[in-house]
Amino acid sequence: MATKEVIEKNKDEDSDSRSDSSGSRRPARRQNFRRYNRRRQRQSVPAYVDWKDVEFLERFIPERGKIMPRRISGVSAKDQRRVARAIKRARVMALIPYVSD
Amino acid sequence: MANPRVYEVMYIADPATDSDTLEQLNKEIGELIEKEGGSVVKFEDMGRRQLAYRIDKFNEGHYCLFEIEGSGSEIAELERRMRVNDKIVRYLTVRVDEERKAAEKIEEKRRKRKEKLHALTGGSSDGEDSKRYDDEEE
Repeated sequence: MATKEVIEKNKDEDSDSRSDSSGSRRPARRQNFRRYNRRRQRQSVPAYVDWKDVEFLERFIPERGKIMPRRISGVSAKDQRRVARAIKRARVMALIPYVSD
Repeated sequence: MANPRVYEVMYIADPATDSDTLEQLNKEIGELIEKEGGSVVKFEDMGRRQLAYRIDKFNEGHYCLFEIEGSGSEIAELERRMRVNDKIVRYLTVRVDEERKAAEKIEEKRRKRKEKLHALTGGSSDGEDSKRYDDEEE
């Protein structure tokens, strides 16, 4: 019960601050959030990510040889983990470079 | 042993080894696995390949791939042998049965979703998730 009251109170404060600074849409503490920006459309990945399939894995490796971040590769978090694991395995067997310049 | 484990074992051999020695080596590996109670499901000689980076002053290597079914003890023995064999530059063992099972589950899930979508749209569109990765390149 008590917590509910606190929440209610916070809400009031929020709406107060909003009405005070009519210019900004959100309270100040929210501004540190970086907006998630996907560069590519959602991409799907085969159900079994094969670590030996170099041709496929290379799509996730830009020139430097690093693993493409999810916000650029556009795959789901789960798929990104699977792809990353496959890339790391392929690296051990020298199928894919660790670094390339 | 209800569910045998499935492993993929890949090794890189010194590119200077002649094919006879390599053949002998692969035969020995096969025999070792059989002796330890496992079985070689698949064997693939991937041939000579450029290495992505230098390993022990080699720029090239001879790749071989085994798919082995067993309990795991034969893998331990095989790895021990490979470690001491100076023809083998590098090896990697990956357990694949669980990942394959996971892949099946994913496939199942995708199929179900597609069916649901199909029912909703009346089969007029495939939906966006048929979009493959190879579509665009930045």
